[in-house]
Amino acid sequence: MKKVPEPAAAGGGSSKMHNTLVYIRQHWQLYVLFMLPAFLLTIIFRYIPMGGIAIAFTEYNPIRGIFGSEWVGFEHFQRFLSSPDFMRYLMNTLKLSVFGLLWGFPAPILLAFLLNRIMSAKTKQKIQLVLYMPNFISVIVLCGIVRILLSPTGLVNSLLGTSTNFMTMPSAFRTIYIASGIWQGAGWASIIYTAALSNASKELKEAAVIDGANIIQQIKAVEWPAIKDTVLIQFIMSVGNIMSVGFEKAYALQTDLNLNASEIISTYVYKKGLLDGDYGFSTAVGLFNTVINVILLISMNALVKKMNEGKGI
Amino acid sequence: MCPESESMATVQLKNIKKVYPFISGEQKKNKKKADEPEKKKVNLQITDEGVVAVQAFDLDIADKEFIVLVGPSGCGKSTTLRMVAGLEEISGGQLIIDGKVMNDVAPKDRDIAMVFQNYALYPHMTVYENMAFSLKLRKEPKDVIDKKVREAAEILDITQYLERKPKALSGGQRQRVAIGRAIVRDPKVMLMDEPLSNLDAKLRNEMRAEIIKLRQRINTTFMYVTHDQTEAMTLGDRIVIMKDGYIQQIGTPQEVFDHPANLFVAGFIGMPVMNFFDAELKRDGKKYFVEVGGYRTELDAEKEARLAAHDVQSQPITLGVRPEHTDVADAGISAKVEVAEMMGSSVHLHVNAGGRDVIIIVPTIDMKGNYKLGDTVHFTFGGRVAHVFSKETDKNLEF
Ligand SMILES: Nc1ncnc2c1ncn2[C@@H]1O[C@H](COP(=O)(O)OP(=O)(O)OP(=O)(O)O)[C@@H](O)[C@H]1O
Ligand SMILES: [Mg+2]
Repeated sequence: MKKVPEPAAAGGGSSKMHNTLVYIRQHWQLYVLFMLPAFLLTIIFRYIPMGGIAIAFTEYNPIRGIFGSEWVGFEHFQRFLSSPDFMRYLMNTLKLSVFGLLWGFPAPILLAFLLNRIMSAKTKQKIQLVLYMPNFISVIVLCGIVRILLSPTGLVNSLLGTSTNFMTMPSAFRTIYIASGIWQGAGWASIIYTAALSNASKELKEAAVIDGANIIQQIKAVEWPAIKDTVLIQFIMSVGNIMSVGFEKAYALQTDLNLNASEIISTYVYKKGLLDGDYGFSTAVGLFNTVINVILLISMNALVKKMNEGKGI
Repeated sequence: MCPESESMATVQLKNIKKVYPFISGEQKKNKKKADEPEKKKVNLQITDEGVVAVQAFDLDIADKEFIVLVGPSGCGKSTTLRMVAGLEEISGGQLIIDGKVMNDVAPKDRDIAMVFQNYALYPHMTVYENMAFSLKLRKEPKDVIDKKVREAAEILDITQYLERKPKALSGGQRQRVAIGRAIVRDPKVMLMDEPLSNLDAKLRNEMRAEIIKLRQRINTTFMYVTHDQTEAMTLGDRIVIMKDGYIQQIGTPQEVFDHPANLFVAGFIGMPVMNFFDAELKRDGKKYFVEVGGYRTELDAEKEARLAAHDVQSQPITLGVRPEHTDVADAGISAKVEVAEMMGSSVHLHVNAGGRDVIIIVPTIDMKGNYKLGDTVHFTFGGRVAHVFSKETDKNLEF
């Protein structure tokens, strides 16, 4: 946006903004110098590759290149949207991410509240260390562990005294996916909340205790206000990622028998594009995914803004 | 407040003790430090269980009394107050409020309210909500809450800010809100931990006067912590002077000023600080004299009676005389002027008498000419203002 208002146009209300603009104008060489690298990098690695989405509108052939390939318009989109599997993939994706957000988002917050109540700093550190560790396991290794634990002869079955093969049950897939995700990520994700909570004044908490607040009321009056803004930002960011469910994990937990629940858009894109070589189609599906994502992000930000007295991203 | 519900809000602290246990690894460090010869400011006793922040704390607070805890930083004032509030576990002894042992009672059930140094207001609530919060938690009816909050706001002159959030208030206004929050609860005991130390000097003086007025309006027992002796002297019915976790003296402001129990209290109370001399106490039957630098004076009858009651004999002493109680005279103890500070109504003469630094306050109207560096002056003092401390124990021999 190159619209720099003329000095005269800036009214009293935006005089601070006006001053900033005048300042920037005086030192424009400096700003250009600082911004150029970032600008170029963004162009080269973020915008130029976007040209690749043109693939979605072609019958792409790598040998003939994007513009040498046959232009097919919205055909791929039509094919995908009208396919009988489309609704299933979309719902699988949405359910996985929405339920993932629903269960996974509050987990680190609750964890932070709990951690914050541990009096001894030493004990707290040790517990935190244990909680962080799963975060450093690679997703593929994690899925391996999950498969072993849940196999008919695995730990879970021997504890229950059964021999259920959880990995083949479509109804168990989402639970496995989300629960293992929480186990892996909640500790790490709680760091940011623990940090925000350390800003809650100790005196204020004591005042609440004297006022007669129980633990829930203390959290409501002292701790929640201290982390509310952080939670909101985190929430908006998570919503932004709602459709970009990681392909690796779903793929790694997939079995032929649980495909009914485990086939999501990204695993479908992978299979179509890289395994079947149907590049044009798979790009179209990926693009569709992104567009939904953007719509979700924008509408969620608007919603949060409304709820939070005009503060969003 | 119906009369029958109005009970006596006495507070008794019996041999109260607080030990902060070591966090593992800290013990060794502290032990090492204790061996170091260097003199530290705070010398808390360190035992195997931990740091003893307060010990042997005995105090009976009468109904509606205003008690001030005062002492240097780290002496255990806040710890004591927090034990009364229930924010800190009591390691030993008994806390009795209104005849009931309160050691293990939750803070909210102790019928106390507390005002904190940093106001501790809920930032997301309005002033009104802040003040109403504890009543709301107690499930009082809305109209009762409203009445109490408005009454308190009226007393504190913050009615016009009721709908504001704390961040839109000045420090002094915030502290009023914090006090308001405490008084709406109508507590048996009002606890205040350095409530004025975040305010600038002028505001502090104003708020100090406010608290005195407040006290007349809300008849309750106060425990007030400060490190400022002016606050202690002006507010307290009785002052508790603490050092290193021990009580040094308990008494009315006049008592601790006129009869400091030991050298520490003598040096702590009073501005400028009391002058100390190496002197001799001489007993002659029922009469006592102090001799210093060739000057000799008889103590007044009250002091003589107190000393005689303890059968104090002649001995070398540390003599204390406050700067405002020294008089420049033609004869007496001789001293060399080092600095003369003009303070307006008086001059503070910093002199050297027999190797000791001494301050003499000379009212401007009594001055005969100006004092210059190196001038020799003579000063005397009366027998009523001489404090005699044992050389061995640093205790006032009157006690
Ligand atoms: N949680 C704690 N663990 C260990 N020692 C503590 C703890 N809290 C306080 N202390 C120690 O107890 C002593 C008394 O502390 P306290 O806060 O009562 O001092 P204070 O008299 O209020 O001082 P100030 O005027 O600085 O507020 C201090 O020396 C302090 O180091
Ligand atoms: Mg303190």
